[in-house]
Amino acid sequence: MKGLRVALPGGMLFDSACELLAAAGIARLDPARFDRELSIRSGDDVFVKVRPTDVPVYVEMGGCECGIVGKDVLWESSRECYELADLGFGRCRLVLAAPRDSALASGVWPQSLRVATKYPVSARRFFAARSLNVVVIRLHGSVELAPLTGLADCVLDITATGRTLAANNLVEIVEAGASTARLIANHAALKTRNEQVGAMAVALRRAAAARHTAGAA
Amino acid sequence: MTGLDALPPGASVRGRADGFNDYLVGPAARRRLITDRFIETFEAWGYGFMVTPLIEPLDTIAAGVGGAAQQSALFRFMDADGALLTLVGERTVSVARVVATQLHDGPFPLRLCYAGSVLRNQAPNAGRRRESLQAGCELVGAGGLAADAECIALAAAALERGGVEHIQVDVGHADFIPGLLDSAGLEPAAREEVLAALARRDLVAVESALDGTDAADAERRLLLAFPTLRGGREILDTAASGLRGERPHRALQELAQLWDLLDAHAITDRVHLDLGAVRDWDYYTGPTFEVFSVDSGFALGSGGRYDTLLSRFGTPLPATGFVLHVDRCHDSVVRRAGTQTTPVVLRVSWESDAHEEALELARALRHQGVACACDLVAGGDGDVRVTASGAHWSHRGHDEQGTVEAAVAAFVAGAS
Repeated sequence: MKGLRVALPGGMLFDSACELLAAAGIARLDPARFDRELSIRSGDDVFVKVRPTDVPVYVEMGGCECGIVGKDVLWESSRECYELADLGFGRCRLVLAAPRDSALASGVWPQSLRVATKYPVSARRFFAARSLNVVVIRLHGSVELAPLTGLADCVLDITATGRTLAANNLVEIVEAGASTARLIANHAALKTRNEQVGAMAVALRRAAAARHTAGAA
Repeated sequence: MTGLDALPPGASVRGRADGFNDYLVGPAARRRLITDRFIETFEAWGYGFMVTPLIEPLDTIAAGVGGAAQQSALFRFMDADGALLTLVGERTVSVARVVATQLHDGPFPLRLCYAGSVLRNQAPNAGRRRESLQAGCELVGAGGLAADAECIALAAAALERGGVEHIQVDVGHADFIPGLLDSAGLEPAAREEVLAALARRDLVAVESALDGTDAADAERRLLLAFPTLRGGREILDTAASGLRGERPHRALQELAQLWDLLDAHAITDRVHLDLGAVRDWDYYTGPTFEVFSVDSGFALGSGGRYDTLLSRFGTPLPATGFVLHVDRCHDSVVRRAGTQTTPVVLRVSWESDAHEEALELARALRHQGVACACDLVAGGDGDVRVTASGAHWSHRGHDEQGTVEAAVAAFVAGAS
């Protein structure tokens, strides 16, 4: 039986993803090895490390049967994948934040708003339900600078601890969503490789639950 | 090829729109061959080939396709009179319109098939087609499960005839999950939340939506077991145990009968029952199915029973049908078999005094089914060279010569 191809997200979630795969008894992957090799075989399965935003692309198009990716990436992606399990790690929130001394920070919503973000799709969806004139400014990094320089009134960004926001004199106005890492699968793989994909989902789910219990204790 | 530096920003590059494809000689021929095989199979099962237009009035399509998401994915435009038109995103609604307006007197059941382009105005992401070729069948005026079984067996037969290998058919029921939610006694809001989460394939959200409800254990177990509610006829008994409510039980009974019918069609070795099948619940009313192959990441075909669609056109008739995605099938066949060489075309050359003989040779070859192209000017160096006294050709590396008839005989033998 052919193994599964699994897309892993480079960056913040990568080490935790490798740890969970090991805890679940699926694969022992040395994260450092991925610096030299693009794909690593473990048993019958093959693991590839790609940019987080590319994980849903690999999975939807059938390059990989499964992937691990943050929910924040899925919000932004138009790819159709099955979301099989909440893996619990990589917890962060997508929040709207504004300068401490702004009207927005004191609870007054202006008629028009310029929002700097790395998450333009999520921003448009979030504001679609609110009757505001919103200009979404898509940036690729350090969005906290946008209010400081007058480029935007506020930011919609991911925060784990809130430290970066506070350091830039920004306060949280409202939470748009909470994100954790998810196991995703390709539609056809779920049908044609159902037993293997199902076994991986069960093993990862169990390992994530065990870790959650251990963390709470 | 011009480098990027040589192109001023915003310069118009005379290219194709994203998401649309040219098919050059080899792929276009293979794609047509697959389509032909599908249509031949449909016709062999008694389905009459028909053609519907690429453009339909927006209100016709909107009457048939319920979901807002599907409607927003349509290309729309206005004609000179200001009428709103769309490029069709699927062709079942068009067939339903034809049946309701021109074929409403039967005789039923009507067996119809079609093939044509459909268009989707979705973001042109890498690899997503916006124009694709679909071939499909509609069986109208037949309410029984024998009609559903016929469509499933025909879809499988057509795909296999088209060269798709290792197919797997997943059969579900559009009424099972909604029925399950009814019998679970969920609040309407929670019910909608679970259905919406299932439709966007977000099982994590299904679980958290159920957490806040008092759904009984049996229903909760079934909903959370999704998408693993899958297997042969035996899963129906497992699913039925502890289940309340008439709706989900009726869906399970229908699937049991359908399984026996599929067994009679001798295809249950390629069929799985899949109770968690996520399909468009607004459109389908009974058994639904999707066809997969290990060679493709996408469903190659899909279909199901849609008993309410025809009534939206004023002709309440039960109906079932399916569509095959020709381009995905083509991808799947190429992935397995590799790109075969393009069909061989013989080139016929001639000396200046033998043009007439060369054309005669070409006619004879074509008559025997050998494709050939005759040079337009004398003196070429083709596969066969015709002179006033006969023909020269090479055969297995050896130069041969003889009469025109001998040349024809050699190539006809070589082609067969």
